[in-house]
Amino acid sequence: MTAVPLDSFRADLERLRADAETALAAATDAAALEAARVEFLGARSGRLKAIQKSLGGLDTSDKPAGGRHFNDAKNAITAGLEAAQIRLAEASGGAEAASIDVTLPGTPVPIGHLHPLTRTIRRVQEIMGRLGFESVDGPEVEDQWHNFEALAISAEHPARDPLDNFYLAVARGADPLLLRSQTSTVQIRVMENREPPLRIVSLGRVYRPDTADATHYPMFHQVEGLLVEPGTTMAHLKSVLRLFASSFLGGDVRVRFRPSFFPFTEPSVEVDMEWGGRWVEMGGAGMVDPAVLEAVGYDPDAVSGFAFGLGVERIAARRYGVDDIRDFYRNDVRFLRQF
Amino acid sequence: MIISTNWLADYVQVPGTDDDLVDRLLMSGLNHESTTRVGDDTAIEIEVTSNRPDCLGHIGVAREASVLYGRPLHVPDPRPLEGAGEASHSIVVEIRSPEICPCYMARVIRGVRVGPSPQWLVDRLATVGMASVNNVVDVTNYVMLECGQPLHAFDLTRIRGGRIVVRRAAEGEPFTAINHKVYTLTERMCVIADAERPVALAGVMGGADTEIGPGTTDVLIESAQFAPLPVRAAARGLVLASPSSYRFERGPDPAMVDWASRRAAALMLELAGGVLERGSVIAGELASAPATIPLPAERVGEVLGVDVAETRQREILTALGFVEEPSAGPQTRRWRAPTWRRDCWRDIDLVEEIARIEGYSRVSENAVIAARPIELSPREVTVRRAGEVLVGAGLCEAMTRSVVTEAFAATASPWGETPPILIAPPLVRGADRLRRSLLPSLLEARGGNVAVGVDDADLFEIARAYLARPVTEENAASPIEEPLLVSLVVGGDFARAKGLADAVCAGLGTGRDGEARLVYRPVVLEPFARGRAAEIVLERRGHAAVRIGVVGEVSKAAADRFGLDAAVAAAELRLDRLDFTALLERPLVKPSDFPAMQRDVNLVVDESVRWGDVADAITSAAGEVLEECRLVQVWQDAERLGAGQKSLVVTLALRSATGTLSGEEAGRIVDAVVAECGRRVNAVLRR
Repeated sequence: MTAVPLDSFRADLERLRADAETALAAATDAAALEAARVEFLGARSGRLKAIQKSLGGLDTSDKPAGGRHFNDAKNAITAGLEAAQIRLAEASGGAEAASIDVTLPGTPVPIGHLHPLTRTIRRVQEIMGRLGFESVDGPEVEDQWHNFEALAISAEHPARDPLDNFYLAVARGADPLLLRSQTSTVQIRVMENREPPLRIVSLGRVYRPDTADATHYPMFHQVEGLLVEPGTTMAHLKSVLRLFASSFLGGDVRVRFRPSFFPFTEPSVEVDMEWGGRWVEMGGAGMVDPAVLEAVGYDPDAVSGFAFGLGVERIAARRYGVDDIRDFYRNDVRFLRQF
Repeated sequence: MIISTNWLADYVQVPGTDDDLVDRLLMSGLNHESTTRVGDDTAIEIEVTSNRPDCLGHIGVAREASVLYGRPLHVPDPRPLEGAGEASHSIVVEIRSPEICPCYMARVIRGVRVGPSPQWLVDRLATVGMASVNNVVDVTNYVMLECGQPLHAFDLTRIRGGRIVVRRAAEGEPFTAINHKVYTLTERMCVIADAERPVALAGVMGGADTEIGPGTTDVLIESAQFAPLPVRAAARGLVLASPSSYRFERGPDPAMVDWASRRAAALMLELAGGVLERGSVIAGELASAPATIPLPAERVGEVLGVDVAETRQREILTALGFVEEPSAGPQTRRWRAPTWRRDCWRDIDLVEEIARIEGYSRVSENAVIAARPIELSPREVTVRRAGEVLVGAGLCEAMTRSVVTEAFAATASPWGETPPILIAPPLVRGADRLRRSLLPSLLEARGGNVAVGVDDADLFEIARAYLARPVTEENAASPIEEPLLVSLVVGGDFARAKGLADAVCAGLGTGRDGEARLVYRPVVLEPFARGRAAEIVLERRGHAAVRIGVVGEVSKAAADRFGLDAAVAAAELRLDRLDFTALLERPLVKPSDFPAMQRDVNLVVDESVRWGDVADAITSAAGEVLEECRLVQVWQDAERLGAGQKSLVVTLALRSATGTLSGEEAGRIVDAVVAECGRRVNAVLRR
């Protein structure tokens, strides 16, 4: 038997492919499509099957190339059939399904909300994180050392008055315990356990006996930053706070320092930020008092640092337009769902 | 502190407007509260920080103004004319407790005529908000407001035994104050007594019996130093805070004790007449050794990040009253602090003085901050993940008080048997104990929403509880434990709360690597309904099993108590016991490319058999190829299954990581599952 020339085998394939394309494109209903399928891809007597038989008649050296050509043609025709099926299905489906009232409600998906104070804290953490400040946490029940003494708050300081703190009925030996009145306690704990350089923000609940009103609550949140590195100056403090303010408030915000007093910083300042065209008090700050550095075992001649504190309720109230900070603790979901 | 601008002008001529003065004081450390016009005078209220008692008098504020404007300060030097008698013949002063009264000075004026004060004095006191009493008392107040040193005037004829004794009060000692109320004193307080009884509560208030009245002729002027603590104990303990106690709590200038005494004597002679006895009677001594402070010139720049010229440094400190000591040069310069600035004793304190007068506007806000990488702590990651899961599930985050009422605290805690810890004072009315669980607070919060007509408040909170550890030697160092909890309260049944608890644990990665697993066991615990609650126990290789959570349906009684009318379920988890997974690095498991086989198995078991035991049997029998074991249906039918039996329809998804499972292999696995369930829980396959 004379071998079938590869060229004529390819020509047959090409013709078949062209015919199939034409037939599939011409099919306008399922019956025509099925007829085309049987004609070209029919398992028993389809035209492709017929050509497959002639594959065996190729010269042995031509068989691999012939097989490739055959597969290409088969895949192309199969893909064309599928495309035609989809085309017909789409055309008929649109006409057959009943139309829907698109204004009917969707299936409800409950949306949860983080508390606005958490959102505010996260935002501060995020901004300070970009500046290299790591968030730290510590106990809320504190001792005299961490809440007062290490922070250079002497026994005579009014802040230690029993009436100005929440003391616990439980003590540690002779050491009275209290709910912390500031998160600086955490800074002391971190400094006691780590060596500089250090950049941290301590955050969480603090407690002071204030009568609850629109601007006071006996439980509130603080975020306090601390940086201790050799050569730190007030210019670093002001620069960090300006970067924070610009990021938190948006735009090129200016920062102003007013002299103030805190036992654990020297010099101490109140920090104002320009917000809506006027100066708004954001919190307190200062250079870490050398007495505090000594209390935690640092050498004040070798390192210096700065610290600042922000009242979370105050900045959250301003940011979200909350006029009574007690609303943060009412847990009315009509309030919470707005954040 | 309220300043009269007319009064201030006695000591310094301020060239600018009141507003300008207020601005400069504000930017140098005296915060502005308000400005009020009073007659032809202006009252400026300023906030004085506790380290600056020198600014609790007009002279101190005038000194600040004189420095800020570069104008001279004029302080009078009172030299009252002394008469014939000797003060020391009229009175003896004895200090029995020098630790609470280092120094006491008495002057005596005889023959005064008590009457109304002149108009200028009445006006000045009115500007600063103080009512005029009479010329003698007004003088003591005036001098206090002038220099910050509180004074007291006694009717000398009412002092018994010619003695002044300064001592601690006896516990329970009665004292009748000028306001004619009787107070019961404690040992923490200090009294001025005569030979027989207390005549004043030291530094706080005078006594009724020795007060200056219309008939008073002889006056004893007290000018003394009292320690802050006894003054505060009396002022706070008896709710008797006064301008005098306010100043003693902060420590007036010791050098003013004699000055104020002379100033008051001079003014009384002028306004009330009489004769001043010679000399003063002094007990104790003024503790005032002003610090000498080294200040190398470059120190200012090191702290501020901006240099201040040495000449300017010197100008500021000198104007503030600091005196330069002889030194060899700029590196060894030393300064002696003035008596009224006992808050300054270190170089850093001088730097602050220079900075606040020079102005912080000179400090740059463009310093370079070196970058530094950080990571979130495991605890932070855990808290965030738990919050994300619950917010994703549609819950709102609540924040409730850490301190609760006795009724709330009475609810059992899942975390310990020790009673709640009391605090004083209460956080808010009635709330005087630290909470041991967040659940009561969240139930109350949900109840609060029901009360305003919102019945779908699904809430969670992440916060601490506070547990007293049992009193043992081991616990002595840390008697309190603060577990970090996530709690949730939702409408619905046990399954909903359990689903949320499971989701939190899954979100944290608990058990993902087979190292740990969660086991649910029935538990009886408030506020859950009996038979409708579970504890969640973490079983972890190499660790003791530990309770990490509780979940259940809220009992009818608890729901009623918190004003809840519909079915409510709740859960509470210990995040501090689940944070071990936060930073776990697990090897990635590549998803299998081979097809899964699904097989439904219908097992009939006794109705008392628990699903957990069936699931355990299936898991252990099916082995690694078990991708999922889902309980599809539970049903009972006495006729078809037999009484006391139930059917569990389970869908098993089987998939191998190494090849396509054949039908025969899947069949063998199902057979093994059925056999194991038969062995463990007497399950029978229903065909």
